[in-house]
Amino acid sequence: MTLTASAPTSAPAPTRPRRTWVGALIGACLVALVGVSLFVGVSDVSPLSLLTGGPDSSAAYLLVASRIPRTLAAILVGASLGIAGLIMQMLVRNRFVEPGTTGVSEFATLGMLVTIVFWPGMAVVGKMGVAAVFGLVGTWVFLRVVRAVPVRQLVLVPLVGIMLGGVVGAVTTFFAYRLDLLQSLGQWAQGSFATVMQGRYEMLWVAGVMVVVAWFAADRFSVIGMGEEFATNLGLDYRRVVAVGMVIVAVITAAVLVTAGMIPFLGLVVPNVVSLIIGDNVRRSIPWVAGLGAVFVVGCDIVARVVRFPYEIPLSVIVGIVGALLFLWLLLRRRSRAH
Amino acid sequence: MHITRPIATLSLVAASALVLAGCSSAGEEAAEAADAPTASEAETVEFSWDRNIAGEDEEPELEKTTVEVPKNPEKIVAFEMSTVDTIGALGGEVAGAPLDSVPDYLQDALADDAFNAGTLFEADLIEIEAQQPDLIVIGGRSSGLYEDLSEIAPTIDLGIAGTYTETLERNVTFLGEVLGAEDEAASALEDLEAGIDEAKAVTAEAGTGLGVMVSGGELSALAPSEQGGGSANVRGGLLYDVFGVEPVVEDIASATHGEPVSFEFLLEKNPDTLWVVDRDVATGEAEAGAAAEVLDNDIVKQTAAAQNDRIVYLDPVAWYIVYGGIETTQLLIDDVMQIAS
Repeated sequence: MTLTASAPTSAPAPTRPRRTWVGALIGACLVALVGVSLFVGVSDVSPLSLLTGGPDSSAAYLLVASRIPRTLAAILVGASLGIAGLIMQMLVRNRFVEPGTTGVSEFATLGMLVTIVFWPGMAVVGKMGVAAVFGLVGTWVFLRVVRAVPVRQLVLVPLVGIMLGGVVGAVTTFFAYRLDLLQSLGQWAQGSFATVMQGRYEMLWVAGVMVVVAWFAADRFSVIGMGEEFATNLGLDYRRVVAVGMVIVAVITAAVLVTAGMIPFLGLVVPNVVSLIIGDNVRRSIPWVAGLGAVFVVGCDIVARVVRFPYEIPLSVIVGIVGALLFLWLLLRRRSRAH
Repeated sequence: MHITRPIATLSLVAASALVLAGCSSAGEEAAEAADAPTASEAETVEFSWDRNIAGEDEEPELEKTTVEVPKNPEKIVAFEMSTVDTIGALGGEVAGAPLDSVPDYLQDALADDAFNAGTLFEADLIEIEAQQPDLIVIGGRSSGLYEDLSEIAPTIDLGIAGTYTETLERNVTFLGEVLGAEDEAASALEDLEAGIDEAKAVTAEAGTGLGVMVSGGELSALAPSEQGGGSANVRGGLLYDVFGVEPVVEDIASATHGEPVSFEFLLEKNPDTLWVVDRDVATGEAEAGAAAEVLDNDIVKQTAAAQNDRIVYLDPVAWYIVYGGIETTQLLIDDVMQIAS
């Protein structure tokens, strides 16, 4: 996945400077953070212990069974959530949407609650499937509602999404409360990689596949981002591309939710930061978004492991704090430019 | 304020009516008792505790509260599961309780026509008023209900007072007195103390231990209660504080739900015994065995606990939900004794 961080070579005429060095910087950061992530943890796994212990040592075992899966999970979650945010922003033509501000995450959570209540013993694949279907319904409902909103104001769209999410979240909370599942739901939706190990994160590869799909369809999403009429005039099947985008967003949201939990702000902040640097061409920005998202989550996960060592802090707390600060900065920055 | 609030007035009237009714019936019974040559004991037992009169989220402000409790009450409403437990174990029965929260192993303590008194947190005041109980027991989650419930019937708080064993002793002794089963209460306490001592002897030989709670696939390490007392003596604390399990890590903060940890943490700290509370089973979310599934992996298999076959699954309801009570304490003892062999 580190490859995705380097700047692409086959980009159309750039609207802004190519800034390849920033791409290289993201790549370098990712490599460095992955190195740190592999060697930070409760047990002693260091390059030295690996060399002295040989391939059968417990350090080598833990590297394979625990550290590499955890690091991979963080990379996959960061990259795919960033992409989900980017696609969502293209679909709605609004910079302030992501699965978390459009009700998609809340719908997927409701789906998860449904599986807990009706099929508690269901395999993770099944849970993810149900959550994805709910997420898909959520995306569809959101797009319908947004279309019905007459004025497409910048802030109004995410506001509608947050309200929609609030309503669905309230329904989920109500049922969880009646069924005495409130605490479990909180525990389970809390984003964390603490128990990620071999055999417990593989579902995230599905999200990784969605990133690849998004990459293949990147140019189409760029066109979609210019509006339905424009896209149709260019001979694009608007509905089909929107459908593909919805599926990508829903599946990524569900896969991340089932394996790691809710991770706020990431899909919002990362594409915006990338857009500030290199503009809105989706084909160009996809590797940047994926790379920056991965850097963001791997970095936050290291902090989550280190701050209360040897205990952990839920990842969502760290991401929430950093993400909220970045989000505020983006908002204020935009306003000062508008005046 | 000169405006008289109608509800306050009504409840005052109701309360005084109740008090009067109580007095008159007590008086009659006292007269009857005086006629009978054998009965010479008092008709009420006094119970005092420090009641928190500040609001739920305020700094606690304690006020000593004393309530006269009728002996051999006919209808008892209990919001506290350990009270349901002890009353049942002493041969009594509970007329009303939050039925949804009564664990399976305590169903026998309920009267056949037991009514639902609400939830662990909220009382169904109308139903309770209609049932006219003689005694209401609250505690812990329901402590805040005192004001409302004490207007209906004598209400006492049998919540946590000191350590687990102190709470158990006070509550069992008191309920024994109320139910006229002092001897049963004393012998039950004696048995439990002997059982706890026996379990302690077993854990003293068993090396280090770590309590973990499994919920939603996540692990948290449970803590001994803080040094020098403190009210956090719950859940995992019972393992270390009551049963003398030697904690493998000393400094876990005494959060009621423990500290999130990774599988690597288990392997690195490597306790000789792993004591598991399956929270999802306690709250009725998962079938038994959900925690076992989470712990069934290669990293855990390498821990000393797994290799000694010392991963003990504790009765989640007894350890997580009910605090105190005769039958519950016996279950805790049985769980700990599993490692004796």
